Amino acid sequence: MNILISYNWMKEYLETDLSPEEFAKRTTASGNSVEVIDRVAERFAQMVVGDVLEVKTHPNADKLRVAVVDIGAKQVEIVCGGENLSEGQKVVVALPGARVRWHGEGDLIELQETKIRGVESYGMICASAEVGFEKLPAGEKDIWDISVITNAQAGTPIAEALDLDDVIFDIEVTSNRPDCKSVIGQAREGAAVTQDRFTWKATKLKRVEWDAGFSVEVQESSLCPRYTAVVIDGVVVGPSPWWLQKRLLLAGHRPINNLVDITNYILHEYGQPLHTFDADTLEGQKIVVRRALKGETFEALDKKTYELTDEMLVIADAKKPVAVAGVMGGLSTGTTQATTRVVIECAAFDSVSVRRTARALNLYSDSQLLFEKGLSTQALKPALARAVELIKEVAGGEVVSKVFDECAQEYQPLVLPFDDKAANRLMGIELPKKEQIAILKRLGFTIQKNQVAVPYWRDHDIEASVDFVEEIARVYGYDQFPSQLPSGQLPQAFSNPSLVWERRVKHLLASAGLSESYSYSFVSESQLEKYGIDIQTAVKLRNPLNSEQEYMRTSLVPSLLTSIEANQARLPQADIFELAPVYLAQTSAIPKQSLSLVIGSYGTDGEALFVRAKGILERFFRQTGIREYLLERGTDGTRWHAGRSAVITVLGKQVGVIGQVSRRVEQAFGIDVVTVLIDLDFEALLSIFTLGKSYKPLPLFPSVKRDLAFLVQERSEWESISQAVHQSSELLEVFELFDVYRGQGIEEGKKSLAIHLSFRSSERTLEAIEVDAEINKIRQVLEETFGAIMRS
Amino acid sequence: MKTKLEQLKTEFLELVEKVTDRQNLERLQTEFLGRKGKLNEVMKDMVELAVEERKLVGKLANEVKEAIEQAFHFQEQKMSQSEVMGQAEREWIDITQPGSFSSEGHLHPVTQAIGEITDIFSHIGFTAVRVPEIDWDYYAFESLNMPKDHPARDDWETFFVDAPEGSGEKEGKLLLTPHTSNSQVRTMETQKPPIRMINIGRCYRRQIDISHVPMFHQFEGLMIDKGVSVTHLKGVLDYFAQTYFGSNRRTRLRPHHFRFTEPSFEVDITCEVCGGNDDGTCRLCKAGWLELGGAGMVHPNVIKAGGLDPDVYTGFAFGWGVERTLMMREGIKIDDIRILYKNDLRFVNQF
Repeated sequence: MNILISYNWMKEYLETDLSPEEFAKRTTASGNSVEVIDRVAERFAQMVVGDVLEVKTHPNADKLRVAVVDIGAKQVEIVCGGENLSEGQKVVVALPGARVRWHGEGDLIELQETKIRGVESYGMICASAEVGFEKLPAGEKDIWDISVITNAQAGTPIAEALDLDDVIFDIEVTSNRPDCKSVIGQAREGAAVTQDRFTWKATKLKRVEWDAGFSVEVQESSLCPRYTAVVIDGVVVGPSPWWLQKRLLLAGHRPINNLVDITNYILHEYGQPLHTFDADTLEGQKIVVRRALKGETFEALDKKTYELTDEMLVIADAKKPVAVAGVMGGLSTGTTQATTRVVIECAAFDSVSVRRTARALNLYSDSQLLFEKGLSTQALKPALARAVELIKEVAGGEVVSKVFDECAQEYQPLVLPFDDKAANRLMGIELPKKEQIAILKRLGFTIQKNQVAVPYWRDHDIEASVDFVEEIARVYGYDQFPSQLPSGQLPQAFSNPSLVWERRVKHLLASAGLSESYSYSFVSESQLEKYGIDIQTAVKLRNPLNSEQEYMRTSLVPSLLTSIEANQARLPQADIFELAPVYLAQTSAIPKQSLSLVIGSYGTDGEALFVRAKGILERFFRQTGIREYLLERGTDGTRWHAGRSAVITVLGKQVGVIGQVSRRVEQAFGIDVVTVLIDLDFEALLSIFTLGKSYKPLPLFPSVKRDLAFLVQERSEWESISQAVHQSSELLEVFELFDVYRGQGIEEGKKSLAIHLSFRSSERTLEAIEVDAEINKIRQVLEETFGAIMRS
Repeated sequence: MKTKLEQLKTEFLELVEKVTDRQNLERLQTEFLGRKGKLNEVMKDMVELAVEERKLVGKLANEVKEAIEQAFHFQEQKMSQSEVMGQAEREWIDITQPGSFSSEGHLHPVTQAIGEITDIFSHIGFTAVRVPEIDWDYYAFESLNMPKDHPARDDWETFFVDAPEGSGEKEGKLLLTPHTSNSQVRTMETQKPPIRMINIGRCYRRQIDISHVPMFHQFEGLMIDKGVSVTHLKGVLDYFAQTYFGSNRRTRLRPHHFRFTEPSFEVDITCEVCGGNDDGTCRLCKAGWLELGGAGMVHPNVIKAGGLDPDVYTGFAFGWGVERTLMMREGIKIDDIRILYKNDLRFVNQF
């Protein structure tokens, strides 16, 4: 969470001479990261106070007028569309060169002297939104009339006239430090780091004894450990003075009316949410803090009605809920223009309860965000006192009741043991105990012997002694820590084979010319169904982002087919792969998460693609040490082309399928190209992969090479021909198919195979006559077993 | 005889000038200097000369021979040169035409980054582990010092699995890990200290826009041993930053808050564009620093959850986004990070 902090505001509680940059640097280094330094005055460069002397009609436009404006050094004419423009006003004049946000929208634009509908206009009379105050209440077509907030002379720079010479820090506050989401918290932190003086003192209220006929009852003290309130009578609701509005605007709040503005002011200054009820609307003149009744309804300030449950804490009057505790007030009991008597609530609520309630109602607010981080019961009285002080100053009225203070138990500060040596061990430096203690003290901790008492504003985030180390280290400054690589014994840990082989296989596939596909682990129900996967086997998400990402994939194939569909129009042919986990639901156990590998070749010629894919598979097996594998027909005909697919078996185990995807699958995924896939269970192959190589001594005698070409039946399979031929000749070393030809000159139903043969003996150089004899044996087998007709 | 020798020389020098091919050149040389060549023919008359004169003629004969040889080599060299020139002319090719080799494969940039990060940490003894991506609440949150209903859990927009809660002590809701930190307690359960572990895995968060993808990668480092301190964490982070990003880069620890580390940090690295000297005009960074990711000293409660004694063992952990780290180094300007997982081959094939 971020907070906008005005340096001027902070300086009310911090005596410092540091430049904004230097302050930002130091406070960032200690944990309050300043992300942006915004010099407010620079926004108002080239803008001055203008006195509108005369308003004339525009000769060429009905909705525009021409104002004669005194800008100090001279009088100028400015074309203006503001409906509320009138003589005698003080206005913000942006001179040529100023940067404004046109109609409060879009980027900043640098003004130039220009003609508008034929009339020269020297700059612009600005609306509040055009100079960065979008949140200031204003009529849609009004210019910003500043007559009521300044009497500065014409020509005075706006930053000076409106007291805007300030610097705003945009600071990231970590979620454990709600105390830093306030001006005082930032001043306190800043003081600890810069060693400048932190001057804040708690405001005290005058003691009043009577209860003004009002009562407060807390029925659920576990959810509301402390509730304070006070009644003020005689307030006058109206707009806040400029100094207050300005601070809220620079802090990112929207000024509304003085009472609401003061609660926001305290929220920003103290980090403590307050709520103001119109006391006259509370039935029975009482506040009851209780659980909501089941089914009770409540109309909140956002004008929506919520149904409550008995797990939710509410603030109620004698009859009905008037606020959801810590989350939002009710519409009917809020302050209005007519309000004169108010109850100011300042309470502490259980953070978990606030959080659960907000989530259950889907109702969030600035207050709720702070409450759910955990606020101290001890922060209430100073904040309430400050609110009363401001209300009296800004809205008038008098305190008419005592401060109701329902507190479950007396506050005991958290005390934890402190060990400076353990701190040094964890930090790895030698910081003297004295210095460690000095830092803790600057942060508000108190130390007695080796016991440290935690200040109330830290009583939710400090949980254990180890937390002191961070306090000391961050204020001391991590830039002062040396950097050293750990020495010491190295662990005996072994690389996970799945990680090692995943990486190796990805590299060898890329080296073979394939591109890696990398998809989300999510798939849609439709993707699973298109591939015939039973959705019961898949892990389903309870809160998917969309229906496209509702399931975790059980197979990589649907993702790969989806990406082929997306790429087919861009690239007519490609070889891709994905190696990633798939997930299978299991009852009462985490899902089975195992690696899968899918390789896809797509293009136009199915047979060529199959051969190409098989080549990839063979190369992959060779390079992973898998020497024996079988491809057998008999795949699932709904997914695969029955004539162009095979089950892959390694060591008796089915590890996957290679084949052209079926027409049905192609159609389901919208694929217009021919696709051959290899779908492998990578996890099953892990135990078989090996880097081990075998070595055969190099041959001593030369080989003799021959070629053969012959015709066989189309359905004669290469594997059986090759096996038979090898069996027939002991001297045959290589029997390599280098061409398959069909078509002109070849009888229908037959194919011509062209083969390189190579013969070798390990004992002698072969004579031509021996080789001829071997060739004859081979021819004989081919002719007799396969009905081959020799062509050469 | 002297005259004969001089004539021989003159004759050769004239003839050699006219020779144009290697074959005739060699024939000419043999004709003059060969065993039965002209020079030897003349020298046959030597025996008839007086000793004194024989010496003189001998010397002259040698000079003639050398002159012939020199002329021969000169001519031969000239010929070689013109042959080379001729070959260059005849066998001219267009060297600007595109090269051709087997098709080129491409690994996804995230795969490449994971490999590189694994190597860097392996050099300092960190071994890669693999842990479940779909895991129990216990490992993703509870054992990391984030009890149920803790607001810190909101920092992770977590996906939950539509399945009954596990009833075991170390179970709870089933979820997609929103960070890689579930590897911390899982590793402490399976390894004994000293532990140096790196876990690079997929994470899931319910966010999708131009700078967020619902599936991304983190690398998580964990070191647990006796006497591990903040200075060691600094050392390891510096080592990584300088190895991965370049030796001129510096890091800083900025205090931050995470429930599972104490103290906790955000790690920043000096910007490569402005070299860490931003005066407010750098296009890449804020004030000279870029945010790398979170880190910290493992919280005693987490060490306890891992079955170890936090009074004996301390440790550090860090978990950073792979995609972010990758883009920060390569200076790849990806306007919309979602392209990483769209499988557009035109994207992947650039890496």
